[in-house]
Amino acid sequence: MDKQYKVQVKDLHKSYGKNEVLQGINLNVKPSEVVCMIGPSGSGKSTFLRCLNRLEIPNGGHVYVDGYDIADPKVNINKVRENIGMVFQHFNLFPNMSVIENITLAPVQLKKESKEEAKKDALHYLEVVGLKEKTNVNPKTLSGGQKQRVAIARALAMKPDVMLFDEPTSALDPEMVGDVLEVMKNLARQGMTMIVVTHEMGFAKQVADRVVFFHDGNIREQGTPEQIFEHPQQEDTKNFLDKVLNV
Amino acid sequence: MRKIGWRKILATFIAVLGIALGWSLVEPQSVSAAEPTYTFATNNTFEPFEIQDSKGGYSGKNPGIEIEMLKKIAKHEHFKYKLKPMSFNGDLQALEGGQVDAVIAGMSVTNERKQKFDFSKPYYTDGVMMAVAKNSKITSLKQLKGKMVSAKSGTSAALFVKKNQKKYGYKIRYFDSSNTMWNDVKNGNTDATFDDGPVLQYGIRTGVPLKIVTKKPIDAQPVAVGFQKGQNLALQKKVNDGIDWLNKTGQMKQIVNKYTKSDKTTKSSTASRTIPGLLKANRSALLNGLWMTIQLTIVGIILAMIFGLILGVLGFMQSKLANGISSIIIYIFRGLPMIVLAFFIYMGLPNVIGHKVPLFLAGIMTLMLDEGAYIGAIVKGGFDAVDPGQWEAARSLGLPYRKALIKVVAPQGIKIMVPSLVNQFIITLKDTSILSAIGVMELTQTGTVIISQNMEGFKMWLIIGTIYIIIITLLTWLSNYIQKRMA
Ligand SMILES: Nc1ncnc2c1ncn2[C@@H]1O[C@H](COP(=O)(O)OP(=O)(O)O)[C@@H](O)[C@H]1O
Ligand SMILES: [Mg+2]
Repeated sequence: MDKQYKVQVKDLHKSYGKNEVLQGINLNVKPSEVVCMIGPSGSGKSTFLRCLNRLEIPNGGHVYVDGYDIADPKVNINKVRENIGMVFQHFNLFPNMSVIENITLAPVQLKKESKEEAKKDALHYLEVVGLKEKTNVNPKTLSGGQKQRVAIARALAMKPDVMLFDEPTSALDPEMVGDVLEVMKNLARQGMTMIVVTHEMGFAKQVADRVVFFHDGNIREQGTPEQIFEHPQQEDTKNFLDKVLNV
Repeated sequence: MRKIGWRKILATFIAVLGIALGWSLVEPQSVSAAEPTYTFATNNTFEPFEIQDSKGGYSGKNPGIEIEMLKKIAKHEHFKYKLKPMSFNGDLQALEGGQVDAVIAGMSVTNERKQKFDFSKPYYTDGVMMAVAKNSKITSLKQLKGKMVSAKSGTSAALFVKKNQKKYGYKIRYFDSSNTMWNDVKNGNTDATFDDGPVLQYGIRTGVPLKIVTKKPIDAQPVAVGFQKGQNLALQKKVNDGIDWLNKTGQMKQIVNKYTKSDKTTKSSTASRTIPGLLKANRSALLNGLWMTIQLTIVGIILAMIFGLILGVLGFMQSKLANGISSIIIYIFRGLPMIVLAFFIYMGLPNVIGHKVPLFLAGIMTLMLDEGAYIGAIVKGGFDAVDPGQWEAARSLGLPYRKALIKVVAPQGIKIMVPSLVNQFIITLKDTSILSAIGVMELTQTGTVIISQNMEGFKMWLIIGTIYIIIITLLTWLSNYIQKRMA
């Protein structure tokens, strides 16, 4: 392990039965780095992301966050998770709570903040994602793009220093995508460490420090956006980009 | 990940079972200092030997031959007694299981029974008779080839028809109470019925539209009180002495004649036979039965909820052991017919724990285990039905398992469960009627007892059925209202 990295992954393996979904992944992410992960569906991107906060338990290898091995029994996984925000494709807002309750639940329950502080913070993050007027509504009444922005605010309220995004815009109507990406760009600009699984090649080109191409449970190729998009070296990468860029 | 500790839940579960068992052990023994108290199993419906009043008791003026006898013997021989009215089969099982000290139920002394039980001196000779519908052409056993005949299960009439089935070539249908059996003949479903002579005679005198076609009782057998073999010798002596005394003083003959020869004891047919009249005459009995049904339902559903919640959480949490325990318990109690469970708890369990299980407790435990298993499955299903994304979102924020469950998943799961739980509540109410099999005086059993006296099967079941429908309708309205408010 190396303290200079925010997230360090060594030889990560994950199988579902006989199906080896991750076949020894290595990846180092520096503080404030934005890594975008692209690749065909089923190549293991989501599984990889979910291993980073142990929503999936890997079969082998190591994940270090801030230098701590998160599989170490001495490490409290809940504390680690407080530091890693996660945003899901399908938002996963809590339907039994209002927007602000969604955001304040974890900080209050985990005693990070008093109720009042948490509310003040929640309003701040709602402002950041541009939804202050939706504070007290039921999430059911929001559009997809609004839901995803609330989900981002909910993750931010725990003041994490890494954010994981799993296709945050894939379930959105096209006209909603821009608002969500805008919020993410701002986050990146402010120095948040981000790992983003996405099909938005424009976003990757513009925001990513590094682009990682997943294929069949391996990292087939990685580099700067220019290297990957302008000069891909691998056949698989070229094929994939041909498909997604020429539709 | 598994911080919730299935140990705690298991401990709670064991505690609840322990409490239930404890309850059964602290049942008051009701020992009075001077006079011992004995428990006698007897019949629900066995006129003229036993005639329950409209509350299911025997405190009326004409409680039947055996009850009058017992009353006199007890007084003369200085003991107290408690009566447990059940079906005759239940009586025999209760005696075998040691639930009761004796059976007084027009019990014929047969060789087979003598091997299992001790008997008092006989006080009556009873034989099987055959009866047919009033307009039937059947006059003898020889005409029964290919016909359907009936008898009450466990009775000497049943033994008789079984024994002679080959000889006469009839088919047999068994019943639990005379009343339903006789109705079946009246309606033409059975061609002939076999029953104890006095029972048939008494029934016909009170208006059952059948006629007896055998001239003399077949297979006449003595009737006596039954005891557990080799047990309760003091009681056996007292009963025998009492019978001697009744015979010597001529009181025995008096009692028997009162029920078989005179008209004094037949139920007045002046009592109104219209539905309002029946309602009025049996008002307090019906209300008592209804109240018992409501008590059983409410206490039963509360305990079943607790039991079910424990099963549901055990089934849902991240422990293979807890999951397994939950699945097995749910499988067993959902698989067992409730009536078997009731018999097992009331008649079987005492053999194991060496102690009687009070009737109400037995009923409640049956409901708790049976309905609880269904509720357990509902609870588990409700939790399982919550989108797994909800778990992931909650856990990814750093919420521990228990907080994620309580704050995020459980509220959504419960909302999913509500309609099924309400449905289970209604089913529980209906299922209480099954407890009539072990003699709980709830609404259905009340109906059986009332009908055994007035023979108004159709009208009484109409009344009882209507009462069920009314309370279930009220319950449905209430639950719809609650669900609307929750939505
Ligand atoms: N819970 C699971 N059980 C079994 N197989 C799974 C599970 N989750 C994912 N997989 C399989 O793992 C592979 C990678 O899936 P995923 O990580 O979701 O890919 P991606 O996000 O790149 O589309 C797929 O073949 C998928 O079917
Ligand atoms: Mg995916």
